[in-house]
Amino acid sequence: MKKTLSIAAILLFALAAFSQNKFEQPVLITSAGQSADVKLVQLLAKRQAIEGETKVMAKETDMDGVKTLIIVPGFSSKGLGSAGISQEDEMNRVKELVKTAQGKNIPIVMMHIGGKSRRGGQSDGFCEIIAENCKAMIVVKQGNEDGFFTDIAKKNNIQILEVEKISDAAVPLKELFK
Amino acid sequence: MNTLKFRILLIWLVFPFILIAQTGNLVQGKNGMAATAHPLASQAAIEMLQKGGNAVDAAIAATFVIGVVEPDGSGIGGGGGMLIYLKDKNQSFYINFYPRAPENIPANFNSSNDRLTGRSICIPGTVAGLTLAHKEFGSLPLSTLLGPAIRYANDGFAIDATLGSLILDNSEALAKNKATASVYLDEGFPKMEGEILIQKDLAETLSVISKKGFKGFYKGSIAKDMVEGINKGGGNFTLDDFKNYQAELTEPVKGNYRGYEIISAANPQSGVSIIEGLNILENADLNRMGHYTKNAKTLHLLAETFRKIYTDRYYFIADPGFVDVPMKGLLSKEFALERFNAINPSMPVPAKYRDTEIGNPIKYQNIEDTDKNLIDVERNGETTHLCVIDKDGNAVSLTQTLGTFFGSGQIVNGVLFNCAITNFSGANNPNSLQSKKQSRSSIAPSIVLKDNKPFLVLGTPGANRIISTVLEVMVNILDFNMNAEEANMAPRFYTQKFEDYLHVESGVGQEIIDELTKMGHSIRVYDGVDLFFGGVQLITIDPQTGMYTGSADIRRGGLAIGY
Repeated sequence: MKKTLSIAAILLFALAAFSQNKFEQPVLITSAGQSADVKLVQLLAKRQAIEGETKVMAKETDMDGVKTLIIVPGFSSKGLGSAGISQEDEMNRVKELVKTAQGKNIPIVMMHIGGKSRRGGQSDGFCEIIAENCKAMIVVKQGNEDGFFTDIAKKNNIQILEVEKISDAAVPLKELFK
Repeated sequence: MNTLKFRILLIWLVFPFILIAQTGNLVQGKNGMAATAHPLASQAAIEMLQKGGNAVDAAIAATFVIGVVEPDGSGIGGGGGMLIYLKDKNQSFYINFYPRAPENIPANFNSSNDRLTGRSICIPGTVAGLTLAHKEFGSLPLSTLLGPAIRYANDGFAIDATLGSLILDNSEALAKNKATASVYLDEGFPKMEGEILIQKDLAETLSVISKKGFKGFYKGSIAKDMVEGINKGGGNFTLDDFKNYQAELTEPVKGNYRGYEIISAANPQSGVSIIEGLNILENADLNRMGHYTKNAKTLHLLAETFRKIYTDRYYFIADPGFVDVPMKGLLSKEFALERFNAINPSMPVPAKYRDTEIGNPIKYQNIEDTDKNLIDVERNGETTHLCVIDKDGNAVSLTQTLGTFFGSGQIVNGVLFNCAITNFSGANNPNSLQSKKQSRSSIAPSIVLKDNKPFLVLGTPGANRIISTVLEVMVNILDFNMNAEEANMAPRFYTQKFEDYLHVESGVGQEIIDELTKMGHSIRVYDGVDLFFGGVQLITIDPQTGMYTGSADIRRGGLAIGY
């Protein structure tokens, strides 16, 4: 019981610190690497009644009226295959999207929810570019065991919150928009 | 802790007395060896061997376990093929337990819309196949063989990296069925690597099978529940579909390659394509040409061979109970020579893979000799592969599948069902969907003999890549004298008639990729090693010392254990 209360207290403290910067709706949710994780973030956002839409292959032209860009990094060869694009095409799309968001002063939130399955190999290139250019990141803990995201967050003064599992990301996501 | 370290630790903790000579994923032993896609399945196989069971017992136990701990690719809701070599008789058998279409086949079946429904399900064959193997060749009680699987289903096991990743990738599909979601998802989100996966309903079903065998699954209350559940999901099954399912004890297909005897899966599985491929390649001196990571022309020759054998397979291979397959022609050296002569050593011909022309095995075929693959014995009734060999040299090579990852996504009584209807082809193909028919399948569990002794036991999952991957590993060992680990780790590649690209792992080297591009190939490169190219489990047997060497593919995350 004591342990549970301590964890809850730490989480509340972390949430309070994390949600200092507020983001606005509507959001545009997109993938960086075409993994299925983007659908799970869509589900999280839907359950938290966050206004906006999801476009796995969002382009600069989809940014009109968008107040926050949520990007979900994670490489999937299956996803790229379904989209009919190469890894290089996807990287170029993501870079253009980041550039457009920055040009329009649209803040980026990174949600890395795939844990170890979306780290290393081809995923890290996508993780890096999004992490370095976001204003806040929510990360499922096992994807940050090596401190990859923490280091980037520290270096770039970005707010970061670790959660134990995907469903735990719902509350901090909602907090960002309060 | 990374997965490999975790597995090594697990084995040392649980099996401290097993002799394991370990270099990377390579293992040696003289008394028995098992290579499977999960350490708990390999461990179950060794447990049975140490209890006095033979290779068939060990393979049965491992197959039941793998269906529990690697549920994405196999399980009692699927089917497959089991190749058995009995050393004392120098005889081999093939048990075909691939799923069979129900009597009432779905009308206007559409893979995209229907895969995740009861309409995609064929009658599962795994329990029939394993109980037939047990009846014919087993020595330990069935309840003993099922013990580990029931334990892992009941108590749970830690989700490993491969399964965690697949649950994540397929979470949307897994959410569609309530029973399936309750196993793999937590509040609608995927269970992740390291979490414990418990399958109580599956444990209960396995317990019934352990007590009642074949009847426990195909008749009685479990069958009734399965029929009702499948039909609720859109299927049209009857109790007779289950009651009448029979696994087939058949003769495997056989060929020879540079003095080795090749034994592989019977029709409508893909042993014939393996042998056709080897027959074509036998016309070249691969060793002299050099390995495909050193010489682009070797890789080109193999790729062009794949195009031809996959094309022939598409037009000729189907359920021999429904279609006359020109086996003699397909397996003939003369036909292979004709196919070899049609390969241009310098460029892909035709230039587009999809234009690959069909061969004509019929002219090498005496139609009266059409092989239906059934031997004169009583006919008793995403895919994973496992290999086992026992101290007496009896060997089993077994591949099983649910059709694709997590099959139909439909669970009843803990049983996750296949989507084998999706493996049938259009109406004009010999592999068209028909009542009670088996679809063509890529699975190709194989055994290679040298001087009438087992020399290599292997197989792989990987959908269409199975055939190319098995052939690549075979030539790595038989032509390039690689050891088990080198052969398994070597970069892989794949193409066929229904592809726009030659898919290659980056390890083949940029120089080779550049040369292949110059030849006219369209290349798609995969960084490092990739699950796309399968997960080979293999055992080699040293003809001089009798030492067994096992290797489990790091692409899939398996483990070989020997003692």
